[in-house]
Amino acid sequence: MARKSASIALNERLSPYQKLYLLLIAGFILGPFIPLIIQSFAFRWAWPDLLPGTWWLEQRERAVLPLAWDYVISPYSQVWEATLNTVFIGCVVTVICLFICLPAARVLARESFKGKPAFEFFLSMPLIVPEAAIGIALLMIFINIGLAGTYTGIIIVHLIPTIPYMIRMLTAVYQGLGRDFEEQAMILGASRWQILRMVTMPMLLPGIVAGALFTFLVSTNIFLLTFFMGQGKIVTLPTLLFSKISGGTLDASAAGITLVVTVPGIILLLITERFIKEEAFGKGFGN
Amino acid sequence: MTAVQLKGVRKDFGGFTAISNIDLDIRSGELVALLGPSGCGKTTTLRMIAGLEVPSDGQILFDGKDVSEVAVQKRNVGMVFQRYALFPHMTVEKNVAFGLKVRGTDKAEIEQRLEDILDVVQLQQFRHRFPAQLSGGQMQRVAIARTLITNPSVLMMDEPLANLDTKLRGEMRRFIRDLQQRLGITTIFVTHDQIEAMELADRVAVIFDGKLAQYDAPDALYKRPGSIDIADFMGATNVFEAMIRGKTATAPFGSLAFATDATDGPAHVMLRGEAIDLHLAEPPETQNQIRGRVSAREFFGANITYTVACGDAQIQVIEQSRRMVDLDQEVWLTIPPDRIWIIQN
Repeated sequence: MARKSASIALNERLSPYQKLYLLLIAGFILGPFIPLIIQSFAFRWAWPDLLPGTWWLEQRERAVLPLAWDYVISPYSQVWEATLNTVFIGCVVTVICLFICLPAARVLARESFKGKPAFEFFLSMPLIVPEAAIGIALLMIFINIGLAGTYTGIIIVHLIPTIPYMIRMLTAVYQGLGRDFEEQAMILGASRWQILRMVTMPMLLPGIVAGALFTFLVSTNIFLLTFFMGQGKIVTLPTLLFSKISGGTLDASAAGITLVVTVPGIILLLITERFIKEEAFGKGFGN
Repeated sequence: MTAVQLKGVRKDFGGFTAISNIDLDIRSGELVALLGPSGCGKTTTLRMIAGLEVPSDGQILFDGKDVSEVAVQKRNVGMVFQRYALFPHMTVEKNVAFGLKVRGTDKAEIEQRLEDILDVVQLQQFRHRFPAQLSGGQMQRVAIARTLITNPSVLMMDEPLANLDTKLRGEMRRFIRDLQQRLGITTIFVTHDQIEAMELADRVAVIFDGKLAQYDAPDALYKRPGSIDIADFMGATNVFEAMIRGKTATAPFGSLAFATDATDGPAHVMLRGEAIDLHLAEPPETQNQIRGRVSAREFFGANITYTVACGDAQIQVIEQSRRMVDLDQEVWLTIPPDRIWIIQN
């Protein structure tokens, strides 16, 4: 979808210079994936060869699947378990985060109270303080109260860096949604619950979807906090990848895992993009 | 049909007093404008009648019953917001039916009333469109339909004509007026535009600084404003200090005889620009004659405004553009005594 619209834009509107610039940016984003893909299909790729010395295709009688993919889908790699864990934690974190941030964003967008600027600054603290500092401090507490090495513990620490993002995003969305709509619904006789269900939620939906997507992606990418709290008992894709490459070697199986790690995000992005586009009210809010 | 009454209504926001004390009587079926500059408290007054704000003091009565504490949902009022507040994710049909749906009205009745109201506002062919696909006038009609379908006892509008272009304004003005008269629904609207207030309302309540300054029919308000501020707000230009003795006002440019009642002493005399006749030769009648010289001329198409210098005073005369008087021309102004208004404080 993105490529199609990009190619239309490329042909119709852009000058050659702009096209070149766009291609460079695309190359910059997609480029790093190329060696990963090559690597995952290599049989042997030794320095200083520019391309693998031996491809998997040439060695088909020795390996049924490319080495990387053979390893990735085998139970030894824990990739399946890690994917399930990552998606599960990501989903729970997103839902909890929404429940915490929706009311908070509503207040921040509409009310003014004493100390509001300080409070807003305070909200972004988790993004400023190094993750390691939070992680170690929390680990000490969590070990004491028995939350270390549990899903609950990991979900709680994932909320720390995701809440600031979500609140910011939802506050912006709420600011765009005037009080008029809810007041109008009230005058027309709607109860609070009806207003939330029939007016506020549908109007906030694009913002909620964007915030949820972002939260999910941040959650699935957190390494350090997950690593501390999981204590090796709970494996997610980032911790799995890190333990795989921490030795300093980037072999075929690491490349395979890396590619797998990117998959949930891409799938989610495609789903939500389609979902947002099908909403007929993308055209602006009534003026 | 509901009569609305405000008794000693006051509204404070923290330390700020938006409305200090307002008494207002709106008869059943009347169309009343709340007019005032921005920040005067007129919108707050409207929101209190709607139930979106609770008065700090005083009472709001619907047909003699105190509704000050009744929740918005139970008050059975209708409000059309300035920017219409149409729900962008619903079609015209769903927007209009919203009020009935949330009240749990049964489907057949919703369908019936939807058909009726869409006919009234002439929106049948747009029923499946989304608000973003409508023009300003159509959006306003949807907003009105959405409100009227619930049979509100009082209809409120916030700046109903402000967002429309000149041509549409006339059309919507007639539409609102006709609809209001046909349904006989008590209607209150807020505006900062004195033209809009005079165009639409049966009576106009002028609000300054959270107080009711004057409450009168449009022509009375225009011809006989109660204070200089009101005269100024209603667009009066010729207001001069004068000394009153008997039925004569002595202004800087001469003495004027007037017909209205006034007490002796210092006051202001107001001359409406369109009530003044401009003569190129000395007219036979000598009463209320002012001699001057045309110092400026503004052409507005149908009308021309001349500024006539009479001694130190500048008098504005509005005339239909049947002729053009040259600048610097010597002219004589006359004004009938019954068109002169005296403002005493």
